[in-house]
Amino acid sequence: MAAAAKQAQQLARQLFKLSVVDNVVSTDRVAGVLAYVEKHSPANAVLVLKAYHRLIAVELAKSEARVEHAGAVAPAALAAIAAAMTKKYSRPITTTARAHPGLFAGLRVRVGDDVYESSVSGQLAALALSV
Amino acid sequence: MLPSLFLAFVEAPVIAAHAAHAAAAEPGIAEKFGLEWKYVVIQAISFLILFVVLYLKAIKPTIAAMDERAHSIDAGLKYAEEMKNRLAATQQQTEVTVKEAQQKAQAIIAEAQKTAKEFADKQQKEAFEQASGLIAKAQEAIELEKKKMLAEARTEIARLVVTTTERVLAKKLSDADRASYNETAARELTGV
Repeated sequence: MAAAAKQAQQLARQLFKLSVVDNVVSTDRVAGVLAYVEKHSPANAVLVLKAYHRLIAVELAKSEARVEHAGAVAPAALAAIAAAMTKKYSRPITTTARAHPGLFAGLRVRVGDDVYESSVSGQLAALALSV
Repeated sequence: MLPSLFLAFVEAPVIAAHAAHAAAAEPGIAEKFGLEWKYVVIQAISFLILFVVLYLKAIKPTIAAMDERAHSIDAGLKYAEEMKNRLAATQQQTEVTVKEAQQKAQAIIAEAQKTAKEFADKQQKEAFEQASGLIAKAQEAIELEKKKMLAEARTEIARLVVTTTERVLAKKLSDADRASYNETAARELTGV
């Protein structure tokens, strides 16, 4: 069982590498990979697809900046954030805005596992920790 | 004394014979007074016999008893003297023994006092160290408790401040304030 999972993981990694072009997940490549899996039905296909899906989701999260905000955010500000993150990570990054009233005011940006925050809630938390 | 007395008794008949001869020659005093020499001699012999009997039966045993008593007294005195000397020697020896015993007792007492003092000092030192350790531990515990209480107080105060601030901000912040803050935050994040 462990050997099968390991084998499926390796195959999923290979398929994932084929799906990324210039640090960007290519929809065409992904479609081709899925067609290949559907056609050839490799061993442990379900495990392979689960691992592949997880890798693709992680990679897509790296290409997406999820912006949480309290109050209105100007589209120009979101564009500026996307540009700054694209420049920082050297790959195209898009922004997705989502309201989060718990921040009171300010923004929190997540890119993959990285978090950037400038909010009243964050400052209050930092104040509580510093006391 | 006894020989002279004896001679006096022995010579008494001779003297009486001389006196009788003299009286025969001429009427002497004895004749004048009507003395009979034979009675005198008989009296003298009787006295002599009585004296010998008394000497043999009473005087001699008495003298022997007195000599024996004197000897016994001398022996007793000598014994008393010897006992006195022995007593003196014994007393001297006893004094020496008592003195030695006193010296030994003094030495034992001094050693005991020294040991007791050392033991007391040791006990006092141990008690002091134990008390110091307990005090140090107590102070340390108090200090830790104090720090813990201060930390808990700080945390609680910070939590209250943050909670109060959040409530105030939730009520007082307007949409314009939030938008302005968001703009500033965006500028800050784009400068990362």
